[in-house]
Amino acid sequence: MLPKHSISEILQYCFLGVVRQYVIVVDSQDEHGTRPFEEVFYPAERVPFVEWREFSGAKPTVALVAAVAVLAFVTGLSNLSRAQPVVEGPLATLIPAAPILVRFVGVLLAFPLGIATVGLGRRKRLAWLGAMVLVPALAILPLTTGRTTEIPLLVLVLLTVPLLVANREEFDQPLGLSSLQIASLASILGVGLYGTVGAYGLRRQFLELEGWGDAIYYVIVTIATVGYGDITPTTLEAKLFSLSVILLGTGAFTVAVGALIGPAIESRMAAAFGTMTASELSLLEDHVVVLGYGDVAESFLDRVGDGTDLVVVTDDAEAASRLTDAGFEVLTDDPTDEAVLADARVDAARGVAVAGDDDAENVLAVLAARDVSPDIRIVAVANKETHAKKLDAVGADEVIDLRSIGGRLLGASILDGDAPDVDPAAVLGFAEQEADPTAEDQRTTDSETGEDSDADTDDPESQQSNTDAR
Amino acid sequence: MSTADATGAQQFLASALLATFVGSGAIVLVGFFFPSAVGQALGGQALLGMSLLFFGSGLGYLAVLPYERIRTDDAGVSSLVRIRRTSVRSVISNLISVHDPVTLGLPVAVFALYFLIRIVRPAATTAAVDTLTTAVLQGMGPFLLGAMLVAVAFCVFVFFSAWGGVKLGGEDTEPTYTYPTYFSLVFTAGIAAGIVFWGPAEALFHYQTPPPFFDAAPQSAAAIDAALVYALFHWGLSAWSAYAVIGIPIAYFVFERGAPLRVSSILTPFLGVDGLDSPWSRLVDTLAVFATIGGIATSIGLVSQQFLAGVGFQWGVAPGELGPVLFVGGLAAVYILSAVSGLHRGIRRIAGVTVVLFGVFALLIFLVGPRGPVVAQGTDALGAYAVNFVPMSLYTGGAWVTEWTVWNWAWWFSWAPFAGTFLAALSRGRRLRTVVLTSVGATSLATGVWFLVVGGTSLSLQHSGRADILSAITARGGSEAVAGFPLLSALPLGDLLLFLFLALIVVFIVTSADTATLIAAILASRRGVAPSRGTIALWGAFQAVVALAVLLIGGGETLQALAVLTGAPFAILSMLAIVGLALGVSREDRGSDHTSLVRIAVDRLPTIQTHHDVEPPDRED
Repeated sequence: MLPKHSISEILQYCFLGVVRQYVIVVDSQDEHGTRPFEEVFYPAERVPFVEWREFSGAKPTVALVAAVAVLAFVTGLSNLSRAQPVVEGPLATLIPAAPILVRFVGVLLAFPLGIATVGLGRRKRLAWLGAMVLVPALAILPLTTGRTTEIPLLVLVLLTVPLLVANREEFDQPLGLSSLQIASLASILGVGLYGTVGAYGLRRQFLELEGWGDAIYYVIVTIATVGYGDITPTTLEAKLFSLSVILLGTGAFTVAVGALIGPAIESRMAAAFGTMTASELSLLEDHVVVLGYGDVAESFLDRVGDGTDLVVVTDDAEAASRLTDAGFEVLTDDPTDEAVLADARVDAARGVAVAGDDDAENVLAVLAARDVSPDIRIVAVANKETHAKKLDAVGADEVIDLRSIGGRLLGASILDGDAPDVDPAAVLGFAEQEADPTAEDQRTTDSETGEDSDADTDDPESQQSNTDAR
Repeated sequence: MSTADATGAQQFLASALLATFVGSGAIVLVGFFFPSAVGQALGGQALLGMSLLFFGSGLGYLAVLPYERIRTDDAGVSSLVRIRRTSVRSVISNLISVHDPVTLGLPVAVFALYFLIRIVRPAATTAAVDTLTTAVLQGMGPFLLGAMLVAVAFCVFVFFSAWGGVKLGGEDTEPTYTYPTYFSLVFTAGIAAGIVFWGPAEALFHYQTPPPFFDAAPQSAAAIDAALVYALFHWGLSAWSAYAVIGIPIAYFVFERGAPLRVSSILTPFLGVDGLDSPWSRLVDTLAVFATIGGIATSIGLVSQQFLAGVGFQWGVAPGELGPVLFVGGLAAVYILSAVSGLHRGIRRIAGVTVVLFGVFALLIFLVGPRGPVVAQGTDALGAYAVNFVPMSLYTGGAWVTEWTVWNWAWWFSWAPFAGTFLAALSRGRRLRTVVLTSVGATSLATGVWFLVVGGTSLSLQHSGRADILSAITARGGSEAVAGFPLLSALPLGDLLLFLFLALIVVFIVTSADTATLIAAILASRRGVAPSRGTIALWGAFQAVVALAVLLIGGGETLQALAVLTGAPFAILSMLAIVGLALGVSREDRGSDHTSLVRIAVDRLPTIQTHHDVEPPDRED
């Protein structure tokens, strides 16, 4: 039990950079000249006024657009609830039919903006275009009414538009509609056009159908199978035309609903069986990808658990469903396939752990991961000592040789009777990690955690014994 | 209490705050657009509570957000390595052991004693403190006036002389805080919600009862100028010099001589760095803790009352018995979170919010207010301020000066230990010239513009009869708390400005309270021990308890007067500090390798004739 336990720990250490932290914690006891108050007043190297990166990324943009949608909806409602809309803003005289516009524009733009927000969350290009139209359009509302209560909406719009523009590169995903979805959407559009133009052309053969507005109204009421009956065909030609609109329209509508909503339901069900959908995967960032699922991976996951975004890629369906039940993100697919790794967003990941039971597959997985992302940190498990070099040769940054570590720990345990106290960093010869550029950040994290870390640094022994307290 | 738990708790706290923020935000949003419907359904008190919850939880969430997103993940993992077991008892004994018994015990005992006496003999306490206040302010009045003028002269000297070239922490030290951060931290720490209340009120009071220095009839056009000049005077260069005169010596001895960060470090040249454990320096630090806690806690209590009084005046929402207590509790929760989360997180972020709100509010007032008169009065007042600065500083005539100028000077000096220590702590890597430029120049520019814009607008509206702010103040027993409301109601966008105004009150008191908490914790810690989060939270809680006691037992003004009276000893100490700094600098002869501004200017004369480079300007990117 002991070696396996420690190995998973070691894997976790060297992989997630804890070793660096570990080394620094021990290191910081010998005075760096930091005085007590400086720990409080100088927690970081550089403290800017605003962390622009935090406030200007894609995620804040999506959140702001969502806020605009909500605020537009409530603002629109408050306009809708007034018997007589206020139109005293600077644009009031320039806009025709301002009172009608003011009454409806907020709510009517809020709904498509809500949809665009969902699309922005999935980094869709089309959603970005939609938002770029809808958000500035919402500025018309406060500028037309000139009500004080609508100024927050204006301020929010003015904040959101530059962010949208600045982050335009982030929203680059194509809509990715299937041909069936495109066909059904096109056919709805086609039937709508056919019905509207036809009804307008045949307007003399209908009761109460006067112009374009009536034609559109008639077609939608008909396709939606509501059929108020205020506009009725009077000739056979018009009746046949209406029938064709009903048949084609309801048909296209039904197919479109199936084509658009079906895949969403399918992906839900698939997710329940342990597969992440493409859209869920596209949101991953700074995560850890675990390729292959062996004994080591199992206890690794047990250890790491919460706090880190993990995606396990394995073609073992049984393991996949078990992991999904345990709350892990799983992509049930071949871990040696570059396309799959690209789906798992290896390019945006913090690192890759190759931890399958089969070394041959591990080598292929390392190659595939290196191919997808040349700079990513890859840690691989060698199940057989002789394979360690091969894994190293194909581009793994770190190779964990299970048997030799196990052997060493076993030896240490027998000789000292104190195996778990073996410094994992020492075992792996990882002390040079200290020179890692990220070590600086680690130190800051350390002081940020305040009193606990202070107490820790006071006592190197407690560090050691903490390791086995777990 | 392991780190793992702490990280988990932080994440939980962050999500709880976010949920509260969004939830209360939804109600506030609906209330904002449908005030009558929501007002009927919930009642004004609940809506007020919701709005405060919304704003407070937003600030709290801002405070607990991690410094950089990546850090949380690391912290989450690193917690695996550092699991510790601690019991409640060890926590408490830990808290006591890291404190200096005198600086911890004495202020606590004094506050307890004060409230005990106050409960037993309320009238006698008030009378005694009043007598003491009058005696000190009258007796020490000329000294305080002189000390303040010396403080200003000191700042001017440091700015122009070779001392200004001293870089704190050595030539190679780079400042950690970028200039905007540095400014906003210094500015927001040194000023509490007073600036928000007094902004529209102070000039009006002087307009009603003109200062005797200017011979103007009450409520006349001449009184407008006099009022603005004195508002500038009380909140301008002099005020901020009081902070710098304590802060610069501390900074010098801390970073150049390795003295510990505390107020008593100004005694380094007399006692030596190793002599700073003497009873004298402990007395100074204890007094500083008392002044800090007394000044801030009474401000929290009084500001809460004023805030609720203002809301009651404007919307007729009675706070009820529990209202002020809940308000103080909420404030305490926010500033403790802010202080505990660290300087780079809560304190810096809320200071940033404060400065942005402050700027936006002043700009909006200027845009919607009477721009022409405000600019005209403002330039007149600035000119008169420059011409009359020294005569006004030396003018001791009559009760008016004691009541206003001397009282204000004592107040600024009483805040100086805390604001000065904070200024010193932040200034590593800055030249003394930059420290003066920021803590005196930039800050008084900000307060000056504020008083000219906000005070000028209220004067202009009052004088032209567009709003009768003075009668509103009189109707409320001369309380400055209500002055903002009739003013803003008379302006376009009044509704929006009112919300900004209330928000400003909250953030200004929070930014002072969180830094005061931090400084009190540092001053009361044993030498060589950094205050832990527990210690900081303890001092925050102690301030909240004092503020609550002020509310429940009463006697806030009396306690505040006591705290302000500590300004007198600190004025003496600041004079001592100037002497000490002069001794220190000359002994070390540090000044010789630095150049004075005059020399820099002269050196540049042949090439650039008009441009004075103040310092190799900010190194921030």
